[in-house]
Amino acid sequence: MVNSRLFWWGSAGWLACSLATVQHVQAQRDTVSLAPVTVRGFAPERFMAGLKVQVPDSATLQQFRFQNITDLLAFQTPLAFRNYGPGQLATASFRGTSSNHTAVLWNGLNINQPNLGQTDFSTIPVASFDRLAVQYGTSASVVGTDAVGGSLLLSSAARQSPGLSLSAGRQQGSFHNYQNQLAANYATPLGEKWNFAGKTALYDGRMNNKYPYRERQNYLLNPSESEQRGLVQDLFFQDAGQRQQWSAHLWLTDNQLILAPANLGGRELTRTQSYRSMLQYEALGWTARTAWTRDLIDYGKGDFTYLEHTETDRFATRLEKEFTRYLGRRQSTPWSVRVGGEVAHYRTRTDGYVEPLITENRADLFVLSRWQATDRWLVSANLRQAFVTRFNPPLTPSVGTEYLWLRRPTYTLAAKASVGRNYRVPTLNERYWLNLGNPNLRPEHGWNKEAGLEAKWVPAPAQQLTASLTAYHNRVDDWTYWNPERNYYVENLQLVVARGLEAQSTWQGTWQRWQAGSQLGYAWVRSSQERAYTAYAQDILGKQLMHVPVHTGTFNAYVQRGRLRLTGRAQAVSRRYTTFDNSKYLAGFVLADVLAETTLHAHHWQGRLQAQVHNVLNTFYLNVNRYAMPGRSFSFNLLITYNSKTK
Amino acid sequence: MKKQLTRFLAVVLLTSAVWSCRERETLPDGDYARGVLVVNEGLWGSNNGSISFFKREDREAQLDVFEKENGISLNGGAQSLAEGHGHALIMVDLRNAGLDKVEIVNSNTFKRIGTLTAPDIENPRYGLVVSETKAYVTCWGTTGTFPNFYINPGYVAVVDLTTQRVTKKIPVAKGAERLVAAGQRLYVGNAAEVSGLTVINMATDEVVSTLTTAASPNPIGVDADNKLWAYAGLNLYKINPSSGTIESTLPIGNNPTKSAGSFAFSPDRRTLYFVLSAYDANWNAIGETYQFATNATQVNVSTPFVRRLFSGLAVDPMQGLIYAGVTPSYAQSGYVVRYRPDGSLVDSIRAEIGPKEFIFK
Repeated sequence: MVNSRLFWWGSAGWLACSLATVQHVQAQRDTVSLAPVTVRGFAPERFMAGLKVQVPDSATLQQFRFQNITDLLAFQTPLAFRNYGPGQLATASFRGTSSNHTAVLWNGLNINQPNLGQTDFSTIPVASFDRLAVQYGTSASVVGTDAVGGSLLLSSAARQSPGLSLSAGRQQGSFHNYQNQLAANYATPLGEKWNFAGKTALYDGRMNNKYPYRERQNYLLNPSESEQRGLVQDLFFQDAGQRQQWSAHLWLTDNQLILAPANLGGRELTRTQSYRSMLQYEALGWTARTAWTRDLIDYGKGDFTYLEHTETDRFATRLEKEFTRYLGRRQSTPWSVRVGGEVAHYRTRTDGYVEPLITENRADLFVLSRWQATDRWLVSANLRQAFVTRFNPPLTPSVGTEYLWLRRPTYTLAAKASVGRNYRVPTLNERYWLNLGNPNLRPEHGWNKEAGLEAKWVPAPAQQLTASLTAYHNRVDDWTYWNPERNYYVENLQLVVARGLEAQSTWQGTWQRWQAGSQLGYAWVRSSQERAYTAYAQDILGKQLMHVPVHTGTFNAYVQRGRLRLTGRAQAVSRRYTTFDNSKYLAGFVLADVLAETTLHAHHWQGRLQAQVHNVLNTFYLNVNRYAMPGRSFSFNLLITYNSKTK
Repeated sequence: MKKQLTRFLAVVLLTSAVWSCRERETLPDGDYARGVLVVNEGLWGSNNGSISFFKREDREAQLDVFEKENGISLNGGAQSLAEGHGHALIMVDLRNAGLDKVEIVNSNTFKRIGTLTAPDIENPRYGLVVSETKAYVTCWGTTGTFPNFYINPGYVAVVDLTTQRVTKKIPVAKGAERLVAAGQRLYVGNAAEVSGLTVINMATDEVVSTLTTAASPNPIGVDADNKLWAYAGLNLYKINPSSGTIESTLPIGNNPTKSAGSFAFSPDRRTLYFVLSAYDANWNAIGETYQFATNATQVNVSTPFVRRLFSGLAVDPMQGLIYAGVTPSYAQSGYVVRYRPDGSLVDSIRAEIGPKEFIFK
């Protein structure tokens, strides 16, 4: 706990410095006329015509502010999580793929842990980003490696209008779990030519998981404690003419998990730390970016004197240029082309690898294009070639289109389709792990095809309905497999085909005093291994992949009167197999949460109070290792915000 | 066609053999009073070990019978099962420290009688039921990580089956492993490079001596001539239990890359079967199964009984068929393959993950 105190003092110092700068520049505010700071940045979604993108609104992000991204995605999307317990490892399966097949981007940078090639979603609190886009399906030509099942795009945004807001939040939950958050958002002009905006956020959460029961329905709970801390710093400098912008981003995380904490001989520690930093400059259609990330993992048992250490640095620099032309002299049909390249250098020191230090270089060249052919028809075509030390992934093209089929005052119907190649560079573990890693692995490669419909209907002036239906087929060959038949030696053995359907609908209504809305989602996915390579592989041929439920459903609904809002949400997950031949499984379950919240205003001050019931149905369900998950629990969240501007 | 006829005859013979047994004996009540229990280890860490059961004439196994009878799975790896005197002890190893257990069930009904838990039981390995009221369970204690894995002394837990309680922990060397009773003496093996079998007096439950062997020895059992057999690495020991001395040491071939395991006696206890395994250059597990007579002067490692590697081996004392466990991987179901004593294949039955032990009833 010494660490914890140090962290808070350090953090307070950091915050004080940041604020001092703001106070200083704010003093000059009165004399200057202000242009609002809008942060442009690069939105990869622009080049993903034909692919489904879901953007949870800011109210949803606010509601999940004290939770991890796992909870948000599980209640809002068909992503299936492989969850090892509260505060423990959680990896995702997107559209029937494995945990290595979801790209996670932070301001455009892939932040999947390079040794594992995946993200532990339990280490990403919703409070650490400002915007989230969930992009379904293959987008490897735009995003790069790992974007096979889909990608998650996290980004930072700055305060729009000059001023300062400070907020402090506290969550107090069942089982002696709590979380603290501090944040400052600030924006101010700097002289006549520049505007400055920024955000500093700190979070520190602790899950003691002091359950009042040792088991549920005779299934043991797995005792564990975890602590999660982080610092987010975003700085934006933009010229008043909005022709150029500098931005700097920093995100530090420190997560510590102890299993069996009371057992001093057998307890297990996993500490995961990430340092992520980025500097970006945009001007005249050019974007230059340089980033450094360091990922550390330490694992140990007993007295923790000996820790297995993993340390990986990545230096990535990217240069892009975007051109826009108007074809056919019509200003409504712009054709944008974005050309760019990235070079990255990796250095890893990992206990258990073939060499104490392993380095490799990677590069990417890409051409992204987007053409608004008519005001109803959008086309995008992209091409990427990645280069990796000692082997290169295939040339990766994609084509997508969207067509606004029906356009009436009260309803619209759009059709979309996309075909794209995908690839995944094998992880460092897969190639360099002593004995089990395979330096001769090939990159995975596949084709994803999908088509969908999107409808909007406004039956009455204050009501809106949306519905979408998407079908896809994703065939991935040379699927990397830690072959359990060969003592978990890694091989390009399998051919995996995932096919699925996704349906989603939303409804929103506003009356004089009341407001209500709902979201309903359902996904069906059949994802199976299609190649027999040994006699006993016959038993796993055509079987559903492990930990991929065939059916998932989500339901969210709220009613609001004045400032009081009541939200209910539910997720349903069907049976998840835990063996390749589908002989063992974890039963399906339905989980539901209820949340009541209200906001109080007093001049510059705002107080937001949330009361939440987690697992309100007291559902009994198991985590991946067949330990019981906790039953019904409660949390209270309080967020107090001071805003220098009153609304 | 000929194969089918043989199979048909085998089934008829088998069935009639079982029926004739039934006519002679009165069986205790319970669905599992007569048949074969299979211990399926499960994938370590996934807590999905289980016990399957089938009658000798069945072609399909009943899966996870502990779950079927008790409404809950073992929720751990099934390390081993000790059966006798109407009791069965299942040694259950869980992913995390402090959660391991021993489930005690009625061996005929498989209904749970009691559960031994931490701190009495930590990393349970093998058990032995010596009477209606007493059993022993070897434990490693809490373990660390490699290279310092065995951080605690091992122990033998003395279990009172009447109260389902551990009444005593007999401290032994690190890595307590298999145990065999010969007369009033209990011989305890070792997995932690300790060079000797621990000998315990079962009347006093005290360690009386250590029988020096090569590193990491394990007892196998007592043969028809009342000699205790044990092995350590590629050494086989024939021990005179009354004098407590090693009568002879036989080498199991001379290839140090191989390791011997899954020893099993024939019904007359005059033949020993075992599996000799290794990894090839591509990390594929390879191996063969051998047999040799207990009065032979050397161990046969030239002509295999079956050219196959198995994850478990046992001989049915009632019919003499050899039961072998096949584990394609620990991420899918394994099989029980049955052989006649001449090495010909009878059939195979799908079991669960990692079949490693067979208990005949």
